[in-house]
Amino acid sequence: MARERVYIDADVLIIGGGTAGCLAAYEARKVGGDDLKIVILEKSFIRNSGALSAGMNALNMYLNQGTPEDLVAYIRYDMCGAPVREDILLSVAELVNETVAMMEKEGLPIKKKADGSYLNRGKWNIEINGSMLKPITANMAIKARARVYNRVYVTDLIKVGDAVAGCVGFGVRDGKMYVARGKVVLVCAGGAAGIWRPRGHGDAHHRIWYYPFNTGGSYAMCKRVGAKMVGFDTRFVPVRTKDTYSATGTLSIGMWAPMVNAKGEAFMEEREEYAKLGGHTAPTPLRVWAYCREMENHRGPCYMDTTRGDPERVEGLKAQYLDMAPCLVLYWACNDINPGREPVEIDAADPSIVGAHAACAGAWTIGTSRMTTVERLFVSGDALGAAPSRFISGTWTCGRLAGRHMVRYLREKQPQLLEISPAEVDALEARIFAPLERYQKCSFYTNGEPVEGVLPQQMEWRMQNIMEEYCGGRSRWFYVNETNLAIARKLVNRLRREQLQYLVAKDTHDLQLAWDVINRLDVCQLVIDHIDYRKETRYPGYVNRTDYPEVDDHNFDCFVTSVWDPETDELQFSKEPYQQIVPGDRKSETV
Amino acid sequence: MPPYVLPDKCDGCQGEKAPLCELVCPGNLMVVEKNTGKAVCREPGDCWDCMTCTKSCARQAIQTRIQYQLAFYPGKLIPLVGPRSVTWTLVDCHGNVERFIMRTLAGEEDDEI
Repeated sequence: MARERVYIDADVLIIGGGTAGCLAAYEARKVGGDDLKIVILEKSFIRNSGALSAGMNALNMYLNQGTPEDLVAYIRYDMCGAPVREDILLSVAELVNETVAMMEKEGLPIKKKADGSYLNRGKWNIEINGSMLKPITANMAIKARARVYNRVYVTDLIKVGDAVAGCVGFGVRDGKMYVARGKVVLVCAGGAAGIWRPRGHGDAHHRIWYYPFNTGGSYAMCKRVGAKMVGFDTRFVPVRTKDTYSATGTLSIGMWAPMVNAKGEAFMEEREEYAKLGGHTAPTPLRVWAYCREMENHRGPCYMDTTRGDPERVEGLKAQYLDMAPCLVLYWACNDINPGREPVEIDAADPSIVGAHAACAGAWTIGTSRMTTVERLFVSGDALGAAPSRFISGTWTCGRLAGRHMVRYLREKQPQLLEISPAEVDALEARIFAPLERYQKCSFYTNGEPVEGVLPQQMEWRMQNIMEEYCGGRSRWFYVNETNLAIARKLVNRLRREQLQYLVAKDTHDLQLAWDVINRLDVCQLVIDHIDYRKETRYPGYVNRTDYPEVDDHNFDCFVTSVWDPETDELQFSKEPYQQIVPGDRKSETV
Repeated sequence: MPPYVLPDKCDGCQGEKAPLCELVCPGNLMVVEKNTGKAVCREPGDCWDCMTCTKSCARQAIQTRIQYQLAFYPGKLIPLVGPRSVTWTLVDCHGNVERFIMRTLAGEEDDEI
């Protein structure tokens, strides 16, 4: 059945109206001038969508002291000294304070000390009242007069020759087919949640740390169009408040509440094996690993001990969480928990695949251009790989830099819009809407479920079970080895290669869920194969390999990258050398 | 804390161009049902508890409830949104009330926005 089509042409085509995309639009307008045609395709509603939708109470990238080099040294240290893209991180660190000042002028309330300076939280963080972070961020795109299309789900990028020409997708509300072309295209559609089985079930299955509607579209689309990918062996494992999985920086850095085990030991300091790794300020993966180890050795439950924290800051704890995770405040009220008088229990959640938090997944980019190995295709935010710990303020900044680089590319290369073959668009239309078409032909059981098909939710559960059990989920304490990775690969590839033909969707909302699982399955392929390729354990806590438990600097002190081969449906791996720009010991901080 | 809609308060946003909760929900979960004219969360388990719908509702028709598998009943968290702040009323399971006023935008409360 032919669908109504919407054709869009832009100079700068942005996929994802989030933290990076809105600021990319702003900066592109600022440096590109009034005539630049900027378009944002947004899966949801730009004012409230994305990982910022519930707010945040701190900006976790800010130079309270030191130099950009010191910040990069810290980020490197926090990834266990592993290779990171220091060039990219430096470009962000040099501009991040200016970005924060700009966002304060746009209305973001930043907490102040008595002397008027920003209230810091530790060395690299500042406290904010961030419940309106997303409306304030979205306003930057509106100010830039970007043309925003809300509720458009982009499914695929289109390549013409060696360059990306645009993308296709569907209207989540209007059911139309969207065909958008751009002289340059920016993918910044977030990371991937919901790959592993969540802790909560039923009405709590989305009570997870990362925003559940970021389902790996950034990674899947870049992979499918042949971009070089990096860092999918760094899964971010959040150790957070038990049951609600709310952020814990408020407790750890904000008030120096230490992690304690059931015996009340502040184990990071009191147990020699963790103290020598850095104690309370050990790298993030090692703190995750230490928590898991305490639990595995039956010294749980574990807590953040707020009773040992700074009493003044503990007082305002509920208020601070209202700016970011109101559910935790209600959870405390409904469980008779007073976080100022008793420790807050913590737990490890399902891993997430991200590039802008403390992990490295994303597309590989050329120099600091933000352009991938596919001509005209740029990435930012969680879609950009090997440059961890940019968080919100760094992602705003990274978006700005992507905007600048895209405008520079337009000026230097003068690219023109590329013609997309009508036959290719027709084929993509059939592919996009196939689950809807199949549903129309189904017969139904007495409960209304289709006889001839698999619902998106059912395939999601199957995928999550496979990843949980064979790719080191939380119930397996994040352990993997070659044997279970091979099982995971076999089962996930069977889903990807043989089972997608059975996916059915009863309406366009279900079609969105169908594409969520299609994209997540592509992320599974990246994760399984990248973890398997890196035959070492460089980030214990994130990935624990029982078959290769040590660091292997001889073979793996480098970036591991892959390119998807559409003929064989296999990833072709290669290594990129690590370039140290900031001198010094990679396993220590400089301030 | 998925959203639940009180039928007596929800009027389907008559007069608005689009029902507000349906407009804003990041997960595309809130819909006004044709036969009742009232909003419903199509799949409470898919909600991320961002509370955008609850804050956006002009009639305070949306209550967010914590999942019973995680916490006891009853207990409430009610936001009242002002131009530059939000006032939260927290009622615990025993009926104890706490109130918090949180800044949302820089500037004075009565400044033009």
